[in-house]
Amino acid sequence: MVKNGLGMLLLALAAGSKLSWAGPQPPPLPAEHLTVATVGPKSPHWIYVVDYAYVNEIDSRVWLFDGDTYRRIGQIDTGFFPAVNLSPDGKTTAVATTYWSRGGHGTRTDVVELNDNNTLSKTGEIVIPPKHAQTLAMMFTLTYSADGKFVYVPYLTPAASFGVLDPAKKRVLNEIDTAGCTLTFPWGPNRVSSICESGRLLTVTLDSQGKETSRTTSDAFFNVDEDPVFAQAVPLPDGYAFVSFLGQVHEIDFRQPKPGIRTPWSLVSPAEKGAWRPGGVQIGALHRARNKLYVPMHKGGDGSHKEGGSEIWVFDLKSHQREARWPIDSYKAGTAISVQVSQDAAPLLFIATETSHLLILEALTGKLKHDEKNLGQTPQLLLNP
Amino acid sequence: MKTLDRLFENGARSLAKRTSRRSLLACLGQVLTGAALMPLLPIDRTARAQEPVHPTPAEQKCDYWKYCAIDGFLCACCGGSSTACPPGTQPSPITWIGTCHNPADGRDYIVSYNDCCGKVSCGDCFCDRNERETPMYRLSRNNDVNWCMANADSNYHCSVSVILGVAEK
Repeated sequence: MVKNGLGMLLLALAAGSKLSWAGPQPPPLPAEHLTVATVGPKSPHWIYVVDYAYVNEIDSRVWLFDGDTYRRIGQIDTGFFPAVNLSPDGKTTAVATTYWSRGGHGTRTDVVELNDNNTLSKTGEIVIPPKHAQTLAMMFTLTYSADGKFVYVPYLTPAASFGVLDPAKKRVLNEIDTAGCTLTFPWGPNRVSSICESGRLLTVTLDSQGKETSRTTSDAFFNVDEDPVFAQAVPLPDGYAFVSFLGQVHEIDFRQPKPGIRTPWSLVSPAEKGAWRPGGVQIGALHRARNKLYVPMHKGGDGSHKEGGSEIWVFDLKSHQREARWPIDSYKAGTAISVQVSQDAAPLLFIATETSHLLILEALTGKLKHDEKNLGQTPQLLLNP
Repeated sequence: MKTLDRLFENGARSLAKRTSRRSLLACLGQVLTGAALMPLLPIDRTARAQEPVHPTPAEQKCDYWKYCAIDGFLCACCGGSSTACPPGTQPSPITWIGTCHNPADGRDYIVSYNDCCGKVSCGDCFCDRNERETPMYRLSRNNDVNWCMANADSNYHCSVSVILGVAEK
Protein backbone atom coordinates (compact mmCIF):
# COMPACT_ATOMS: atom_id res chain seq x y z
CA MET A 1 0.00 0.00 0.00
CA VAL A 2 1.32 3.48 -0.90
CA LYS A 3 1.31 5.80 2.14
CA ASN A 4 3.42 8.84 1.36
CA GLY A 5 2.44 11.85 -0.80
CA LEU A 6 4.96 11.24 -3.57
CA GLY A 7 3.72 7.71 -3.97
CA MET A 8 0.11 8.92 -4.23
CA LEU A 9 1.11 11.41 -6.91
CA LEU A 10 2.92 8.80 -9.01
CA LEU A 11 -0.03 6.44 -8.73
CA ALA A 12 -2.44 9.16 -9.90
CA LEU A 13 -0.20 10.04 -12.87
CA ALA A 14 0.10 6.40 -13.85
CA ALA A 15 -3.67 5.91 -13.66
CA GLY A 16 -4.30 9.08 -15.71
CA SER A 17 -1.80 8.16 -18.42
CA LYS A 18 -3.29 4.70 -18.68
CA LEU A 19 -6.77 6.13 -19.21
CA SER A 20 -5.53 8.50 -21.88
CA TRP A 21 -3.77 5.68 -23.84
CA ALA A 22 -6.30 2.90 -23.55
CA GLY A 23 -9.25 4.51 -25.32
CA PRO A 24 -12.80 3.29 -24.65
CA GLN A 25 -13.12 0.07 -22.61
CA PRO A 26 -14.31 -3.06 -24.46
CA PRO A 27 -17.80 -4.30 -23.60
CA PRO A 28 -17.97 -6.81 -20.71
CA LEU A 29 -17.94 -10.52 -21.49
CA PRO A 30 -21.41 -12.02 -21.90
CA ALA A 31 -22.83 -14.33 -19.27
CA GLU A 32 -21.93 -17.98 -19.93
CA HIS A 33 -24.20 -21.00 -19.89
CA LEU A 34 -23.10 -24.27 -18.37
CA THR A 35 -23.64 -27.17 -20.75
CA VAL A 36 -22.68 -30.82 -21.03
CA ALA A 37 -20.60 -31.72 -24.07
CA THR A 38 -21.87 -34.37 -26.45
CA VAL A 39 -19.75 -37.06 -27.98
CA GLY A 40 -20.38 -35.99 -31.58
CA PRO A 41 -20.48 -38.07 -34.74
CA LYS A 42 -18.59 -41.35 -34.56
CA SER A 43 -15.22 -41.51 -36.29
CA PRO A 44 -13.18 -44.56 -37.32
CA HIS A 45 -10.22 -42.74 -35.82
CA TRP A 46 -11.60 -42.88 -32.33
CA ILE A 47 -9.93 -45.26 -29.93
CA TYR A 48 -11.19 -46.62 -26.61
CA VAL A 49 -8.22 -46.85 -24.24
CA VAL A 50 -8.70 -49.13 -21.25
CA ASP A 51 -6.66 -47.79 -18.33
CA TYR A 52 -6.28 -50.40 -15.60
CA ALA A 53 -5.02 -47.82 -13.10
CA TYR A 54 -2.63 -50.22 -11.37
CA VAL A 55 -1.81 -47.88 -8.53
CA ASN A 56 -5.47 -47.59 -7.53
CA GLU A 57 -7.07 -50.58 -9.19
CA ILE A 58 -10.59 -50.04 -7.88
CA ASP A 59 -10.75 -46.93 -10.03
CA SER A 60 -9.97 -48.05 -13.59
CA ARG A 61 -11.54 -46.29 -16.56
CA VAL A 62 -11.85 -46.16 -20.32
CA TRP A 63 -10.78 -43.06 -22.21
CA LEU A 64 -12.37 -42.27 -25.54
CA PHE A 65 -9.69 -40.47 -27.56
CA ASP A 66 -9.86 -38.86 -31.00
CA GLY A 67 -6.92 -39.81 -33.21
CA ASP A 68 -7.48 -36.81 -35.49
CA THR A 69 -7.86 -33.96 -33.02
CA TYR A 70 -5.68 -35.59 -30.33
CA ARG A 71 -8.12 -34.83 -27.58
CA ARG A 72 -9.99 -36.81 -24.98
CA ILE A 73 -13.67 -37.02 -25.80
CA GLY A 74 -14.73 -38.48 -22.47
CA GLN A 75 -14.49 -41.28 -19.95
CA ILE A 76 -16.33 -44.39 -18.80
CA ASP A 77 -15.76 -45.61 -15.22
CA THR A 78 -14.88 -49.32 -15.04
CA GLY A 79 -14.25 -50.36 -11.42
CA PHE A 80 -11.80 -53.13 -10.45
CA PHE A 81 -10.05 -55.47 -12.93
CA PRO A 82 -12.57 -54.70 -15.65
CA ALA A 83 -13.34 -56.68 -18.77
CA VAL A 84 -14.33 -54.29 -21.55
CA ASN A 85 -15.62 -54.67 -25.07
CA LEU A 86 -17.75 -52.90 -27.65
CA SER A 87 -21.00 -54.28 -29.03
CA PRO A 88 -20.89 -55.39 -32.68
CA ASP A 89 -22.86 -52.28 -33.73
CA GLY A 90 -20.45 -50.06 -31.79
CA LYS A 91 -23.27 -48.41 -29.85
CA THR A 92 -22.49 -49.90 -26.45
CA THR A 93 -19.44 -50.35 -24.28
CA ALA A 94 -20.00 -53.32 -21.97
CA VAL A 95 -17.95 -53.62 -18.80
CA ALA A 96 -17.78 -56.64 -16.48
CA THR A 97 -16.33 -55.48 -13.22
CA THR A 98 -16.33 -55.67 -9.43
CA TYR A 99 -17.40 -53.16 -6.80
CA TRP A 100 -17.33 -53.41 -3.03
CA SER A 101 -20.00 -51.89 -0.83
CA ARG A 102 -17.46 -49.87 1.18
CA GLY A 103 -15.12 -48.73 -1.59
CA GLY A 104 -12.19 -51.11 -1.37
CA HIS A 105 -13.88 -53.60 0.96
CA GLY A 106 -17.26 -54.85 2.06
CA THR A 107 -19.72 -56.93 0.07
CA ARG A 108 -18.51 -57.79 -3.41
CA THR A 109 -20.84 -57.20 -6.34
CA ASP A 110 -19.92 -58.25 -9.87
CA VAL A 111 -21.85 -56.57 -12.60
CA VAL A 112 -21.93 -56.05 -16.34
CA GLU A 113 -22.54 -52.38 -17.01
CA LEU A 114 -23.84 -51.19 -20.34
CA ASN A 115 -22.78 -47.71 -21.47
CA ASP A 116 -24.23 -45.71 -24.35
CA ASN A 117 -21.35 -44.69 -26.62
CA ASN A 118 -23.30 -41.63 -27.82
CA THR A 119 -23.41 -40.15 -24.35
CA LEU A 120 -20.79 -42.16 -22.42
CA SER A 121 -23.38 -42.63 -19.73
CA LYS A 122 -24.49 -45.86 -18.12
CA THR A 123 -27.79 -47.14 -19.45
CA GLY A 124 -28.21 -50.41 -17.62
CA GLU A 125 -26.59 -53.26 -15.74
CA ILE A 126 -26.77 -57.00 -15.19
CA VAL A 127 -25.69 -58.27 -11.78
CA ILE A 128 -23.72 -61.50 -12.31
CA PRO A 129 -22.36 -64.11 -9.88
CA PRO A 130 -19.37 -62.64 -7.99
CA LYS A 131 -16.80 -64.58 -9.95
CA HIS A 132 -16.01 -62.78 -13.21
CA ALA A 133 -12.40 -63.51 -14.22
CA GLN A 134 -10.35 -60.72 -12.69
CA THR A 135 -7.30 -60.48 -14.87
CA LEU A 136 -5.42 -57.96 -16.92
CA ALA A 137 -6.23 -56.39 -20.23
CA MET A 138 -7.88 -58.88 -22.56
CA MET A 139 -10.23 -58.72 -25.51
CA PHE A 140 -11.71 -62.05 -24.44
CA THR A 141 -12.79 -61.49 -20.84
CA LEU A 142 -16.06 -60.07 -22.10
CA THR A 143 -17.30 -60.78 -25.61
CA TYR A 144 -20.43 -60.42 -27.71
CA SER A 145 -21.98 -62.92 -30.09
CA ALA A 146 -21.76 -61.68 -33.68
CA ASP A 147 -25.42 -60.63 -33.67
CA GLY A 148 -25.09 -58.87 -30.34
CA LYS A 149 -27.79 -60.97 -28.67
CA PHE A 150 -25.51 -62.72 -26.18
CA VAL A 151 -22.74 -61.42 -23.95
CA TYR A 152 -20.22 -63.98 -22.68
CA VAL A 153 -18.35 -63.38 -19.42
CA PRO A 154 -15.61 -65.80 -18.30
CA TYR A 155 -15.81 -66.81 -14.65
CA LEU A 156 -12.84 -67.93 -12.54
CA THR A 157 -13.02 -69.08 -8.92
CA PRO A 158 -10.38 -70.64 -9.90
CA ALA A 159 -12.74 -73.20 -11.49
CA ALA A 160 -13.37 -72.03 -15.03
CA SER A 161 -16.73 -71.46 -16.71
CA PHE A 162 -18.50 -68.63 -18.49
CA GLY A 163 -21.80 -66.84 -18.13
CA VAL A 164 -24.22 -66.31 -20.99
CA LEU A 165 -26.11 -63.01 -20.67
CA ASP A 166 -28.95 -61.39 -22.56
CA PRO A 167 -28.01 -57.68 -22.88
CA ALA A 168 -31.45 -56.71 -24.25
CA LYS A 169 -33.42 -58.20 -21.36
CA LYS A 170 -30.56 -57.53 -18.96
CA ARG A 171 -30.44 -60.94 -17.37
CA VAL A 172 -28.11 -63.88 -16.87
CA LEU A 173 -29.27 -66.82 -18.97
CA ASN A 174 -26.89 -69.60 -18.11
CA GLU A 175 -23.48 -70.74 -16.90
CA ILE A 176 -21.37 -73.12 -19.02
CA ASP A 177 -18.64 -75.23 -17.44
CA THR A 178 -15.46 -75.24 -19.54
CA ALA A 179 -13.51 -78.08 -17.91
CA GLY A 180 -10.50 -75.91 -17.03
CA CYS A 181 -10.39 -74.12 -20.38
CA THR A 182 -10.67 -70.38 -20.18
CA LEU A 183 -11.68 -67.10 -21.88
CA THR A 184 -14.35 -66.72 -24.55
CA PHE A 185 -13.60 -66.51 -28.27
CA PRO A 186 -16.99 -65.93 -29.88
CA TRP A 187 -18.01 -66.99 -33.35
CA GLY A 188 -21.28 -66.44 -35.17
CA PRO A 189 -24.52 -66.01 -33.28
CA ASN A 190 -24.15 -68.95 -30.90
CA ARG A 191 -20.67 -70.50 -30.64
CA VAL A 192 -18.02 -69.87 -27.98
CA SER A 193 -14.53 -71.35 -27.77
CA SER A 194 -12.24 -71.44 -24.76
CA ILE A 195 -8.50 -72.13 -24.82
CA CYS A 196 -7.09 -75.11 -22.92
CA GLU A 197 -3.76 -76.02 -21.34
CA SER A 198 -3.67 -79.05 -23.65
CA GLY A 199 -3.21 -76.72 -26.63
CA ARG A 200 -6.79 -77.31 -27.84
CA LEU A 201 -9.91 -75.22 -28.14
CA LEU A 202 -13.15 -76.27 -26.48
CA THR A 203 -16.12 -75.05 -28.52
CA VAL A 204 -19.63 -74.89 -27.11
CA THR A 205 -22.71 -74.33 -29.29
CA LEU A 206 -25.75 -72.67 -27.67
CA ASP A 207 -29.44 -72.68 -28.42
CA SER A 208 -31.54 -69.51 -28.64
CA GLN A 209 -31.95 -69.51 -24.84
CA GLY A 210 -28.20 -69.65 -24.24
CA LYS A 211 -28.18 -73.30 -23.22
CA GLU A 212 -25.49 -75.68 -24.39
CA THR A 213 -26.54 -77.98 -27.20
CA SER A 214 -23.17 -79.53 -28.07
CA ARG A 215 -19.44 -79.23 -27.56
CA THR A 216 -16.36 -80.17 -29.57
CA THR A 217 -12.64 -80.18 -28.92
CA SER A 218 -10.13 -79.16 -31.58
CA ASP A 219 -6.86 -80.88 -32.28
CA ALA A 220 -3.92 -79.47 -30.33
CA PHE A 221 -2.24 -76.61 -32.17
CA PHE A 222 0.43 -75.58 -29.66
CA ASN A 223 2.49 -77.06 -26.85
CA VAL A 224 2.53 -74.96 -23.69
CA ASP A 225 5.82 -76.49 -22.52
CA GLU A 226 7.64 -75.81 -25.78
CA ASP A 227 6.18 -72.59 -27.12
CA PRO A 228 3.04 -71.15 -25.46
CA VAL A 229 0.72 -68.87 -27.39
CA PHE A 230 -0.46 -65.51 -26.14
CA ALA A 231 -4.08 -65.79 -25.04
CA GLN A 232 -4.63 -62.34 -26.54
CA ALA A 233 -5.48 -63.58 -30.03
CA VAL A 234 -5.86 -61.41 -33.11
CA PRO A 235 -9.37 -61.50 -34.67
CA LEU A 236 -9.33 -62.55 -38.35
CA PRO A 237 -12.17 -62.41 -40.88
CA ASP A 238 -12.66 -66.17 -40.54
CA GLY A 239 -11.31 -66.92 -37.08
CA TYR A 240 -8.45 -65.94 -34.80
CA ALA A 241 -4.65 -65.91 -35.00
CA PHE A 242 -2.79 -67.07 -31.90
CA VAL A 243 0.80 -65.81 -31.85
CA SER A 244 3.35 -67.82 -29.88
CA PHE A 245 6.09 -66.53 -27.59
CA LEU A 246 8.67 -67.46 -30.25
CA GLY A 247 6.74 -65.85 -33.08
CA GLN A 248 4.78 -68.70 -34.65
CA VAL A 249 1.41 -67.59 -36.00
CA HIS A 250 -1.33 -70.19 -35.57
CA GLU A 251 -4.30 -69.19 -37.68
CA ILE A 252 -7.44 -71.02 -36.63
CA ASP A 253 -10.54 -71.21 -38.83
CA PHE A 254 -13.59 -70.82 -36.58
CA ARG A 255 -16.26 -71.24 -39.24
CA GLN A 256 -16.92 -74.87 -38.30
CA PRO A 257 -18.00 -76.15 -34.86
CA LYS A 258 -14.65 -77.90 -34.65
CA PRO A 259 -12.12 -75.14 -35.41
CA GLY A 260 -9.73 -75.89 -38.27
CA ILE A 261 -6.00 -75.52 -37.79
CA ARG A 262 -3.94 -74.04 -40.60
CA THR A 263 -0.23 -74.60 -41.11
CA PRO A 264 1.54 -72.17 -38.78
CA TRP A 265 3.96 -69.60 -40.12
CA SER A 266 6.67 -67.56 -38.46
CA LEU A 267 7.12 -63.86 -37.80
CA VAL A 268 10.88 -64.38 -37.59
CA SER A 269 13.53 -65.88 -39.82
CA PRO A 270 15.51 -68.89 -38.58
CA ALA A 271 18.36 -66.51 -37.76
CA GLU A 272 16.05 -64.24 -35.75
CA LYS A 273 14.23 -67.03 -33.90
CA GLY A 274 14.66 -66.77 -30.13
CA ALA A 275 16.35 -63.39 -30.43
CA TRP A 276 13.49 -61.27 -31.78
CA ARG A 277 10.12 -62.01 -30.16
CA PRO A 278 6.61 -60.62 -30.04
CA GLY A 279 5.71 -59.24 -26.63
CA GLY A 280 3.50 -56.99 -24.58
CA VAL A 281 -0.20 -57.17 -23.85
CA GLN A 282 -2.16 -56.71 -27.06
CA ILE A 283 0.35 -58.30 -29.37
CA GLY A 284 -1.25 -57.91 -32.76
CA ALA A 285 -3.73 -55.93 -34.83
CA LEU A 286 -5.02 -56.60 -38.32
CA HIS A 287 -6.20 -54.17 -40.97
CA ARG A 288 -8.72 -56.52 -42.52
CA ALA A 289 -9.19 -54.90 -45.95
CA ARG A 290 -5.46 -54.57 -46.54
CA ASN A 291 -4.46 -57.82 -44.77
CA LYS A 292 -1.76 -56.05 -42.80
CA LEU A 293 -0.74 -57.48 -39.45
CA TYR A 294 1.06 -55.21 -36.96
CA VAL A 295 3.09 -56.81 -34.16
CA PRO A 296 5.26 -55.21 -31.44
CA MET A 297 8.65 -56.99 -31.49
CA HIS A 298 11.59 -56.84 -29.12
CA LYS A 299 14.96 -58.46 -28.63
CA GLY A 300 14.80 -60.72 -25.60
CA GLY A 301 15.03 -64.19 -24.15
CA ASP A 302 12.74 -66.60 -22.31
CA GLY A 303 10.47 -64.81 -19.87
CA SER A 304 10.45 -61.59 -21.92
CA HIS A 305 6.99 -62.19 -23.38
CA LYS A 306 5.49 -59.17 -21.62
CA GLU A 307 8.23 -56.80 -22.72
CA GLY A 308 7.00 -54.21 -25.13
CA GLY A 309 8.22 -53.84 -28.67
CA SER A 310 11.14 -51.65 -29.62
CA GLU A 311 9.85 -52.00 -33.19
CA ILE A 312 6.56 -52.60 -34.94
CA TRP A 313 6.80 -55.25 -37.64
CA VAL A 314 4.27 -55.21 -40.45
CA PHE A 315 3.32 -58.41 -42.27
CA ASP A 316 1.13 -59.27 -45.20
CA LEU A 317 -1.23 -61.87 -43.81
CA LYS A 318 -1.61 -63.66 -47.14
CA SER A 319 2.01 -63.84 -48.27
CA HIS A 320 3.37 -63.96 -44.69
CA GLN A 321 6.07 -61.57 -45.83
CA ARG A 322 7.40 -58.90 -43.52
CA GLU A 323 6.91 -55.58 -45.26
CA ALA A 324 8.26 -53.09 -42.76
CA ARG A 325 10.10 -52.60 -39.48
CA TRP A 326 9.23 -49.36 -37.71
CA PRO A 327 11.43 -48.46 -34.73
CA ILE A 328 9.75 -46.93 -31.69
CA ASP A 329 11.57 -44.16 -29.85
CA SER A 330 11.33 -46.20 -26.67
CA TYR A 331 13.75 -43.91 -24.83
CA LYS A 332 11.30 -41.07 -25.27
CA ALA A 333 7.93 -42.86 -25.24
CA GLY A 334 8.56 -46.33 -23.77
CA THR A 335 8.19 -49.65 -25.57
CA ALA A 336 5.02 -50.65 -27.40
CA ILE A 337 2.85 -52.97 -25.31
CA SER A 338 -0.46 -52.80 -27.18
CA VAL A 339 -1.42 -52.11 -30.78
CA GLN A 340 -4.68 -51.43 -32.59
CA VAL A 341 -5.37 -50.24 -36.12
CA SER A 342 -8.39 -48.39 -37.50
CA GLN A 343 -10.21 -50.14 -40.33
CA ASP A 344 -10.73 -47.21 -42.72
CA ALA A 345 -8.92 -46.37 -45.96
CA ALA A 346 -6.54 -43.92 -44.26
CA PRO A 347 -5.84 -46.05 -41.21
CA LEU A 348 -4.17 -45.00 -38.00
CA LEU A 349 -2.02 -47.31 -35.91
CA PHE A 350 -2.51 -46.75 -32.19
CA ILE A 351 0.23 -47.85 -29.79
CA ALA A 352 0.02 -47.86 -25.99
CA THR A 353 3.44 -47.82 -24.35
CA GLU A 354 4.82 -49.07 -21.07
CA THR A 355 5.18 -45.46 -19.88
CA SER A 356 1.55 -44.56 -20.60
CA HIS A 357 1.98 -42.78 -23.90
CA LEU A 358 -0.45 -43.23 -26.77
CA LEU A 359 1.38 -43.03 -30.09
CA ILE A 360 -0.57 -42.43 -33.27
CA LEU A 361 1.08 -43.44 -36.54
CA GLU A 362 -0.01 -43.45 -40.14
CA ALA A 363 -0.65 -47.17 -40.55
CA LEU A 364 0.40 -47.18 -44.21
CA THR A 365 3.76 -45.48 -43.73
CA GLY A 366 4.68 -45.72 -40.07
CA LYS A 367 4.99 -41.95 -39.82
CA LEU A 368 4.46 -40.70 -36.27
CA LYS A 369 1.57 -38.23 -36.19
CA HIS A 370 1.19 -37.69 -32.47
CA ASP A 371 2.63 -38.67 -29.09
CA GLU A 372 0.03 -38.26 -26.33
CA LYS A 373 1.82 -38.38 -22.99
CA ASN A 374 0.17 -39.58 -19.80
CA LEU A 375 -2.99 -41.03 -21.28
CA GLY A 376 -4.15 -42.37 -17.96
CA GLN A 377 -2.06 -44.37 -15.56
CA THR A 378 -1.57 -47.79 -17.20
CA PRO A 379 -3.33 -47.88 -20.57
CA GLN A 380 -3.20 -51.43 -21.87
CA LEU A 381 -6.12 -52.36 -24.08
CA LEU A 382 -7.10 -50.53 -27.24
CA LEU A 383 -10.52 -51.01 -28.83
CA ASN A 384 -11.80 -49.27 -31.93
CA PRO A 385 -15.35 -48.65 -33.04
CA MET B 1 -9.71 -114.36 -3.54
CA LYS B 2 -7.35 -116.35 -5.74
CA THR B 3 -7.92 -113.86 -8.47
CA LEU B 4 -7.06 -111.01 -6.09
CA ASP B 5 -3.95 -112.86 -4.86
CA ARG B 6 -2.82 -113.37 -8.43
CA LEU B 7 -3.50 -109.75 -9.27
CA PHE B 8 -1.39 -108.42 -6.37
CA GLU B 9 1.38 -110.99 -6.98
CA ASN B 10 1.59 -110.03 -10.64
CA GLY B 11 1.58 -106.37 -9.72
CA ALA B 12 4.37 -106.84 -7.18
CA ARG B 13 6.47 -108.87 -9.60
CA SER B 14 5.94 -106.30 -12.35
CA LEU B 15 6.93 -103.49 -9.99
CA ALA B 16 10.05 -105.44 -8.92
CA LYS B 17 11.05 -105.88 -12.55
CA ARG B 18 10.66 -102.19 -13.27
CA THR B 19 12.37 -100.81 -10.16
CA SER B 20 15.56 -101.30 -8.19
CA ARG B 21 16.24 -101.06 -4.47
CA ARG B 22 18.11 -97.85 -5.23
CA SER B 23 15.06 -96.34 -6.88
CA LEU B 24 12.99 -97.38 -3.88
CA LEU B 25 15.43 -95.51 -1.65
CA ALA B 26 15.24 -92.52 -3.98
CA CYS B 27 11.46 -92.61 -3.82
CA LEU B 28 11.53 -92.84 -0.04
CA GLY B 29 13.97 -89.94 0.00
CA GLN B 30 11.59 -87.86 -2.04
CA VAL B 31 8.75 -88.65 0.32
CA LEU B 32 10.88 -87.75 3.34
CA THR B 33 12.05 -84.53 1.65
CA GLY B 34 8.46 -83.69 0.91
CA ALA B 35 7.53 -84.34 4.52
CA ALA B 36 10.36 -82.07 5.64
CA LEU B 37 9.03 -79.31 3.40
CA MET B 38 5.52 -79.52 4.80
CA PRO B 39 6.16 -76.93 7.52
CA LEU B 40 7.20 -74.50 4.75
CA LEU B 41 3.82 -74.52 3.07
CA PRO B 42 2.47 -71.00 2.80
CA ILE B 43 -0.66 -71.46 4.87
CA ASP B 44 1.38 -72.82 7.77
CA ARG B 45 3.89 -70.02 7.59
CA THR B 46 1.40 -67.19 7.31
CA ALA B 47 -0.57 -68.54 10.24
CA ARG B 48 2.45 -67.92 12.46
CA ALA B 49 3.50 -64.58 11.00
CA GLN B 50 1.82 -62.42 13.63
CA GLU B 51 4.83 -60.29 14.46
CA PRO B 52 6.61 -57.18 13.14
CA VAL B 53 8.83 -57.80 10.15
CA HIS B 54 12.01 -56.15 9.00
CA PRO B 55 12.50 -56.69 5.28
CA THR B 56 16.03 -56.47 3.96
CA PRO B 57 16.83 -53.87 1.28
CA ALA B 58 17.22 -56.76 -1.21
CA GLU B 59 13.61 -57.85 -0.59
CA GLN B 60 12.45 -54.39 -1.61
CA LYS B 61 14.03 -54.59 -5.06
CA CYS B 62 12.48 -56.15 -8.13
CA ASP B 63 15.71 -57.89 -9.12
CA TYR B 64 15.76 -59.99 -5.92
CA TRP B 65 16.20 -63.61 -7.04
CA LYS B 66 12.95 -64.88 -5.46
CA TYR B 67 10.87 -62.48 -7.53
CA CYS B 68 11.64 -64.13 -10.90
CA ALA B 69 7.96 -64.49 -11.86
CA ILE B 70 6.22 -61.93 -9.68
CA ASP B 71 3.77 -59.42 -11.11
CA GLY B 72 2.51 -56.85 -8.65
CA PHE B 73 3.51 -54.62 -5.78
CA LEU B 74 6.21 -55.99 -3.48
CA CYS B 75 4.77 -56.47 0.01
CA ALA B 76 8.25 -55.76 1.38
CA CYS B 77 7.62 -52.11 0.39
CA CYS B 78 4.08 -52.08 1.82
CA GLY B 79 4.54 -53.00 5.48
CA GLY B 80 5.29 -56.68 4.99
CA SER B 81 8.28 -58.60 3.68
CA SER B 82 8.95 -61.15 0.96
CA THR B 83 7.27 -63.74 3.22
CA ALA B 84 4.81 -61.65 5.26
CA CYS B 85 1.65 -59.83 4.29
CA PRO B 86 1.29 -56.27 5.60
CA PRO B 87 -0.77 -55.69 8.75
CA GLY B 88 -4.51 -55.99 8.27
CA THR B 89 -4.34 -57.92 5.02
CA GLN B 90 -5.07 -61.58 4.43
CA PRO B 91 -2.92 -63.97 2.38
CA SER B 92 -4.51 -65.67 -0.61
CA PRO B 93 -4.86 -69.40 -0.01
CA ILE B 94 -4.40 -70.09 -3.71
CA THR B 95 -1.29 -69.05 -5.56
CA TRP B 96 0.81 -69.28 -8.65
CA ILE B 97 4.08 -71.13 -8.52
CA GLY B 98 7.50 -70.32 -9.94
CA THR B 99 10.98 -71.79 -10.03
CA CYS B 100 13.75 -69.29 -9.31
CA HIS B 101 17.51 -69.65 -9.26
CA ASN B 102 19.35 -68.47 -6.16
CA PRO B 103 22.78 -67.29 -7.30
CA ALA B 104 24.07 -67.37 -3.71
CA ASP B 105 23.90 -71.15 -3.40
CA GLY B 106 23.46 -72.17 -7.04
CA ARG B 107 20.14 -73.95 -6.36
CA ASP B 108 16.77 -73.68 -8.03
CA TYR B 109 13.87 -73.18 -5.62
CA ILE B 110 10.14 -73.61 -6.03
CA VAL B 111 8.45 -70.48 -4.75
CA SER B 112 4.82 -69.67 -4.08
CA TYR B 113 3.65 -66.19 -5.05
CA ASN B 114 0.78 -65.43 -2.72
CA ASP B 115 -1.18 -62.23 -3.03
CA CYS B 116 -2.08 -60.28 0.10
CA CYS B 117 -5.70 -59.21 0.02
CA GLY B 118 -8.40 -57.03 1.55
CA LYS B 119 -7.02 -53.54 0.94
CA VAL B 120 -6.66 -51.44 -2.20
CA SER B 121 -3.45 -51.51 -4.25
CA CYS B 122 -0.31 -50.72 -2.26
CA GLY B 123 0.98 -48.81 -5.26
CA ASP B 124 4.68 -49.01 -4.39
CA CYS B 125 7.54 -51.12 -5.80
CA PHE B 126 5.68 -52.46 -8.82
CA CYS B 127 7.54 -55.45 -10.21
CA ASP B 128 6.77 -57.50 -13.33
CA ARG B 129 9.04 -60.47 -14.02
CA ASN B 130 7.95 -63.48 -15.99
CA GLU B 131 10.39 -66.41 -15.97
CA ARG B 132 8.38 -69.51 -16.96
CA GLU B 133 5.15 -67.54 -16.61
CA THR B 134 2.34 -68.78 -18.85
CA PRO B 135 -0.99 -67.34 -19.99
CA MET B 136 -4.26 -67.97 -18.20
CA TYR B 137 -4.91 -71.37 -19.76
CA ARG B 138 -2.15 -72.73 -17.50
CA LEU B 139 -3.44 -71.02 -14.43
CA SER B 140 -0.93 -72.35 -11.90
CA ARG B 141 1.85 -70.47 -13.72
CA ASN B 142 -0.07 -67.32 -14.49
CA ASN B 143 0.65 -64.06 -12.71
CA ASP B 144 -1.98 -61.86 -14.38
CA VAL B 145 -5.08 -63.01 -12.53
CA ASN B 146 -6.08 -61.65 -9.17
CA TRP B 147 -5.12 -64.49 -6.83
CA CYS B 148 -7.22 -62.87 -4.12
CA MET B 149 -10.20 -64.06 -6.16
CA ALA B 150 -11.18 -66.73 -3.62
CA ASN B 151 -10.69 -64.58 -0.51
CA ALA B 152 -13.68 -63.33 1.42
CA ASP B 153 -12.32 -59.85 0.76
CA SER B 154 -10.89 -60.19 -2.71
CA ASN B 155 -9.26 -56.82 -3.24
CA TYR B 156 -5.58 -57.03 -4.25
CA HIS B 157 -2.95 -55.24 -2.17
CA CYS B 158 0.51 -56.71 -2.85
CA SER B 159 2.46 -59.94 -3.52
CA VAL B 160 4.97 -62.08 -1.62
CA SER B 161 7.34 -64.86 -2.67
CA VAL B 162 7.69 -67.81 -0.28
CA ILE B 163 10.21 -70.64 -0.72
CA LEU B 164 8.49 -74.04 -0.80
CA GLY B 165 11.61 -76.12 -1.35
CA VAL B 166 14.47 -77.02 -3.63
CA ALA B 167 13.37 -77.83 -7.17
CA GLU B 168 14.11 -81.39 -8.24
CA LYS B 169 16.42 -81.55 -11.26
